[in-house]
Amino acid sequence: MSAFSILFVMSLFSFALHNLKILKRLSILVFGISFGLTLNHYQIPLMGFETSSSVELFEMVLFVVLGATVLSLDEHIAITQTLFLATASVLILESFTLVSFVISFEALSIISFVLVSYMKNDKEASGAIGMFISGSFATAIIMLGVAFYLLDGHSLTQKISVNVDGFGMLGLWIVLVGLFYKLTIVPMHSWALDSYAKVRPAYAGILSGIVKTVVFLATFKMFAPFIDANFAISSSILVTLALITMTLGNFLAIFTKKVEQILSYSSIAHAGYMLLAFVSVKSSYAQSGLLYMAIAYIFMQTSVFLLLDKLSNGKGNLYLEDLKGLAQKDKLSALFLTIQLFSLAGIPLLAGFMGKAVLVYAVVDANFIFVALFTLLNSALSVGYYAWIVKHFYFDTKNNEEKVVTVSKPIYVSQTIFLVGTLYFGMFAFNVFGFSF
Amino acid sequence: MNYLALVFAPLFLSGFVYFVTKKNFFAKYISLLFFIFLLFQSVSIYMQLPNEGYMFLGEFLKVPAFDFSLKLEVDRLSTIMLVLTSILLILVTLSSWSMEKQSAYFSLLIFFSGAIFGVFMSTNLLWFFIFWELTLIPMYFLVGIWGSEGRVYASIKFFLYTHVASMFILLAFFLLFKQSGTFDMTLIKESVLVTPVLIWWLLFIGFAVKMPLFPFHTWLPDAHVQAPAPVSVLLAGVLLKMGAYAMIRFVILMLPQQAHKYAFVLLALGIVSLLYAGFMALYETHLKKMVAYSSISHMGLVAIAISTLSYDGLSSALFEMIAHAFIISPLFLIAGFFHHKTGSWYMKDMGGIMQKAPYLSAIFVFAGLGALGLPATMGFVGELTILLSGMKAYGAWIGVIVLSSIVGSSYIIWTLRRVIYGQMSDVVSKTDFTMSRVEFFALLIFTFVILVFGVYPQALFEVINKAFSSYVSLGGAL
Repeated sequence: MSAFSILFVMSLFSFALHNLKILKRLSILVFGISFGLTLNHYQIPLMGFETSSSVELFEMVLFVVLGATVLSLDEHIAITQTLFLATASVLILESFTLVSFVISFEALSIISFVLVSYMKNDKEASGAIGMFISGSFATAIIMLGVAFYLLDGHSLTQKISVNVDGFGMLGLWIVLVGLFYKLTIVPMHSWALDSYAKVRPAYAGILSGIVKTVVFLATFKMFAPFIDANFAISSSILVTLALITMTLGNFLAIFTKKVEQILSYSSIAHAGYMLLAFVSVKSSYAQSGLLYMAIAYIFMQTSVFLLLDKLSNGKGNLYLEDLKGLAQKDKLSALFLTIQLFSLAGIPLLAGFMGKAVLVYAVVDANFIFVALFTLLNSALSVGYYAWIVKHFYFDTKNNEEKVVTVSKPIYVSQTIFLVGTLYFGMFAFNVFGFSF
Repeated sequence: MNYLALVFAPLFLSGFVYFVTKKNFFAKYISLLFFIFLLFQSVSIYMQLPNEGYMFLGEFLKVPAFDFSLKLEVDRLSTIMLVLTSILLILVTLSSWSMEKQSAYFSLLIFFSGAIFGVFMSTNLLWFFIFWELTLIPMYFLVGIWGSEGRVYASIKFFLYTHVASMFILLAFFLLFKQSGTFDMTLIKESVLVTPVLIWWLLFIGFAVKMPLFPFHTWLPDAHVQAPAPVSVLLAGVLLKMGAYAMIRFVILMLPQQAHKYAFVLLALGIVSLLYAGFMALYETHLKKMVAYSSISHMGLVAIAISTLSYDGLSSALFEMIAHAFIISPLFLIAGFFHHKTGSWYMKDMGGIMQKAPYLSAIFVFAGLGALGLPATMGFVGELTILLSGMKAYGAWIGVIVLSSIVGSSYIIWTLRRVIYGQMSDVVSKTDFTMSRVEFFALLIFTFVILVFGVYPQALFEVINKAFSSYVSLGGAL
């Protein structure tokens, strides 16, 4: 909670800071301090919240990612919201009672709404409204679930009780369904297709890369014991949801020509992979698998969207043709994008591969061999569209229409941080094993 | 010296070559020197090898949790592959002497060398898989950027097809890890597996694609045809060998009991590949595609030899693998060169090239004769030993593979008749067939090797036989 306090103070203070340059530097400094505090396990106890080794690791990764993100943001409101986002993320990751979880989840949602509300045109507006409506819908569902859960006489201020039945069980499942909206699990995914592709790419990166991953980890931390205790009922539901989510995401991505849209489909597919952690909850590798995947995903997804944002000068709306011959125009950007896309595709030596590998191994370990095979084939299929994007950078000659602009130096610095993260967690895998929730 | 550098230095060097060597001219010298260094290293490793078992070369990242530790160990089989690979890399560099965009091209080549060394050197299955997949990346770019008209389709098909196959391998490795508790392939042999049959089939499918065996071969004609000629050499000489090596190492030597049970599948697919690809080559009028099918046909032969599960069989398989690398490479290089000069892939546009380019044609004819298995070439020794070991294991009926030799002779001789001899076509008469000296030198080395080991195969067999002598305890026919 120590990182929380300093982040919270900085978030409030950030409104008073009008100089963008100073705000940027100060935010990065605050993220750095939070990193240091978390690294040294410096704690301030707070009721309803507790931390653990893997939460700490993920928080440190989160601070690095947010620091790098701030480097490539250029609007006051976005940086402010990044600080708030960090605050709420720390809250939701460390919460262990249902009430603290729900409240921090709402805080996170509201921050995302504020982030996208800074819109410049109709397209971004429609994306933001779609997200807002579905978000409110999810909140309503979660509240309904909580109400059912309370109805059965359970307490909000304790850990989720594992032995539930009747209304309690129904309530928790309804809460999960509400959360699945945020996690873009099919069939609760449709808002994401619109929103991720329509809002400004940098914000889409923050929403799909950072917020979603944080909520995923927090949900796992909160609900894994419940799923584990009721595995007979939940396993078949979760297997079905996971397989449908990844397959639909990958299939739709193949037939799309707009880059942001491909990435939002791929984001749905990744939600499917991450859901496997719930499927394999019986395995001791499930935790490290999800943690690994989350760390990998937060690096690669955020990085790709942020770079696309800069390449399109904040406008987005990039088609594959616009990226033709990118390698001739901008050798470094093309390389950054290529490596991160390959990481998303699950090519070895990159974090994306290790994330998927450990997660799939957890599934094998839990004796779902055909689910594992199906997942692996799905992931192999996804190489088709990632390689197809990369093809435009290197195999095609320069496009005359100048939609893609050159990128400034701080962006390269921020992308290098993402790249180092992707490579580090791809090779030095042992950092993640042995941490637990 | 730390042998980990053989694997990781290329990854850094390739970045250096890509970003720093602005002047094209340096890149090729750097890569040539580096590959010569690799050859020296591989030979020196070979010299130090113990008679049996593995030699420890280095370890990196000891992680007990997921057994994620890169352990480099080599035995005779893998060191032979290392030497073969480094020789081919040198020859490929020479053949690419006048390639465009050299800094990017050679940086990919160097990256590839690191990955392929990792494949042959790591005994940790997870790292083996990592390197196995890493070889795809440079190949994807090499085919996609420097290839001919259909390069984009071919490169993505190649990438996707082989990547999907790799997923079967990964699943098999995961099952092995779950059931034996280790990724170390030297330890797995001793552990009792729960589902060895499933693992065997997963591995078999995965490696059959890379080798490639019918019906998993369809990526190959596209990739080989569209790739630039030197890259076709890499594909045929190194990548297919990687498949065959893994087939021997994992499907046969690691799971011998299942191999004994299901070797007939390998035999059947080998025979089908041999004949099917042979007839396809006969039918083909596209020069490079003809060579590609002939390549599949030869790998069918290798599969038959492996399926005998005998000492003779494995030795002859390894000999044929090396022979195939040296015979098919000049054919690819010259076919690519003809296309580059004449602008046509089809045999109908060629004819009478002998009159314009006698030396080049002579090498093409010689390599062609090697491919059909004429005595005094490596091809003959390979085919003969495979036939003999096959007869020993299966009886006289295996003589049907001689049929393939007849088909082989037909398509090679017919191709020679249409491309090299005959009346000079209009296209050929207008074309200038001057080849750079360096590239011609590379072709001469190929020819030299085919001839030397064709006449004096004992030299090579002495090395090869030792590779399998430690596996004599394989049981069965051994």
